[in-house]
Amino acid sequence: MSELVESETSPLGQPRSGGPVAMRLENVAVSFNGRTAVRDATFDVTKNRVTSLIGPSGSGKTTLLRALNRLHDLTPGAKVSGRILLEGTDIYRGNITVTELRSRVGMVFQRPNPFPTMTIYENAVSGLRFNGIKKKAILDEAAESSLRAAALWDSVSSRLKVTAGQLSGGEQQRLCIARALALDPEVLLMDEPTSALDPIATLHIENLMTTLKSRVTIIIVTHNMQQAARISDDCAFLLMGEDRAGELIEFDATEKIFNNPADSRTLDYTLGRFG
Amino acid sequence: MNVAGLAPTPDTGHELRAEIRRTSQNARARRVLVSRVMMTLCAVAITLAAVPLVMLIFELLQKGIPVLDTTFFLKEPQSPTLLSPNATGGVSNAIIGTLALSIYASIMAIPVGVLAGIYLAESDSKLASVLRIVSQTMAGAPSILMGLFAFSFIIQDLHIGFSALAGSFALAVLMLPVIAISTEISVRNVPQTLREAGLALGAKPHKISLKVVLPTALSGIVTGVILAISRAIGETAPVMLVIAGGYTDSWKPLDPVSALPLTIFMNAKSEWPSLRAQTWGIALVLVAFVFVLSLTARIWASRKQKVGN
Repeated sequence: MSELVESETSPLGQPRSGGPVAMRLENVAVSFNGRTAVRDATFDVTKNRVTSLIGPSGSGKTTLLRALNRLHDLTPGAKVSGRILLEGTDIYRGNITVTELRSRVGMVFQRPNPFPTMTIYENAVSGLRFNGIKKKAILDEAAESSLRAAALWDSVSSRLKVTAGQLSGGEQQRLCIARALALDPEVLLMDEPTSALDPIATLHIENLMTTLKSRVTIIIVTHNMQQAARISDDCAFLLMGEDRAGELIEFDATEKIFNNPADSRTLDYTLGRFG
Repeated sequence: MNVAGLAPTPDTGHELRAEIRRTSQNARARRVLVSRVMMTLCAVAITLAAVPLVMLIFELLQKGIPVLDTTFFLKEPQSPTLLSPNATGGVSNAIIGTLALSIYASIMAIPVGVLAGIYLAESDSKLASVLRIVSQTMAGAPSILMGLFAFSFIIQDLHIGFSALAGSFALAVLMLPVIAISTEISVRNVPQTLREAGLALGAKPHKISLKVVLPTALSGIVTGVILAISRAIGETAPVMLVIAGGYTDSWKPLDPVSALPLTIFMNAKSEWPSLRAQTWGIALVLVAFVFVLSLTARIWASRKQKVGN
C-alpha cells in the first residue's frame, strides 16, 4: 500500500495527480456473455478528489463504475477482468468480502431509489441495519450525522417518521446519498446522480459533492460535460471503439482534459463536436 | 425578412397551405361525425351491460331484505311442516360454516401460496417454470375438480369424513394458484433498482428479500389473497361433495358444516316456498361478504399506488 502512495506515476503509464490512491484500476475490462462492453481501463482514483467518467452513450462509463463495487456479480454472463485495487486489495480476488467491499464503496444511482416502505430515518440507517447493527444509540447518531452530511437534516429532522416517497426528487436523492454515507464509506460511486433532477436540485447535489470530498473519495459518471468540468478534479474520457466496446481514451486532471487534452478525440468531444 | 445579398424567395408554399387547410376542415367534419356515432354506440353498450346488473341487485335487495331478521342470522335451520310451513329457522350454521371454511382454507393456502409465489418470482430454475405452468393451469381449472380431489384424498384415502377440514382443503387448493400467481407478479413488480440499492449497501440477498422486496410487494400480495378468499367464499362446487351440509353451528374442523352457497343450492330446489324465499336473503349476505372483501382489496391496492411513487 505504501508503495502505491509513493510511486510518481502509475505502472501503466497513465499520469496521475500524485496524491494517495483510493482505487487503482489496472487493465479493467467487463464483458457480458463474451461480448466486451468496456476494456483497457487503467487509472488511479486519488483520495479526497472527485473523479469523473465522461463519454458518449455506450462508452461503458456506467458498466465500469458498477464493476467497482461488484454490482455485476449477480448478472448472469458478466465477467470482470484486470485488477481493481481498493487500498491495495484486489476487490475480486483479494481478502475482502462483497459485503465489506460494498460498505467501503457506497453507491448512488441514476434515479433516486429510496426504499418506498421505509421512513426517512429507516432509509438513512438501512445500510447499518442490513449489516446487523441494532443499537439504537448508534443508529440515531448515524442517521443524524449522515443526514447532516447530505445537507438534508434541517429540512427533514422534524419528519423523520414519514415515508421517503413524500420527499421531492432532489431530497430523495440526497437521502440516498445519506444512506450511503451512513456506512462511512471510503469511496462513493455516483451514476449520473443528477440526470433525473431539476437544475436547482442538481446544484444542491453538486455543491454537496464538493463539500463531501474531504470525507469521501467520489467517482461520478456524468453525461453533462459542464458538470464534469465544474465539480471533478480528475477526469476519465471513454469512447466506444469500432467493435462497439467502450475504452478509456484519456485520463488526466480535469483541467487538462478540457483545456489541453493529449488525444484529439477528447478535444472533439469536450468541444461538443460529437456525442 | 431579407438578409442583404440574398434574393427574396418567392412564397411557393401559399397554395399548399390553403390546400392543407381545406383538406383538414373536411377531415375534421368526418372525424366529428364518426366520434358522435361511436360515442352513441358506447353509451348503448354500457346500458346493455348495466341493465342486467342493476336488475339483479334490485331483485336481490327487494327479495333479500324482507327475510333478514334475527332468526335468520342467529338460529339453526328447521324443516317446515304442513302445520307451520313458514318455520324455516335461520342459516347461522351456513354463516358460521362459510366463515370457518374460509379461515381454515386461508390458514392452509396463504403461507404455501405466498412462499410459492416468491419462489416463482426469484427463481429461474426448470422447477419454477414447471410450477408456473401448473399453477396457471390450476387457476383456470373448473372448481368441481378441487371438490373431487378433496373427496378422493381426504375422505376416501385419509378416512377423515365429511367435514369443514375436507371442504377447506378443497377451497385451499382452489386459492393456492391464485395467491401464488398474484404474489409472483407483485414481487416481480418491485423495481430492480431497489434490489440494487440494497446490494450496494452490503445487504445479503435474503435480507433484501425480507426487508425490501416483501414489504414493497406486500400490498399487492394482500390484494391477491383477499381476492382469492372472496372467490373461495362464493364457490359451491368444491365444497358440496365433502362438507355434508351439517345443520348445526360448529367451528370444529372435523364436524360436518354447511356453507352459504351450498344452502342456496339446497333451498332453491326445495318444495317449500318459505325456503325458496330464504335463498334471496342468503344470496344477499353472500354478496355482502364478497363486496366487503373486494372493497378491502381495492383499498389495499390503492395504498400500493401511494407507496409506489
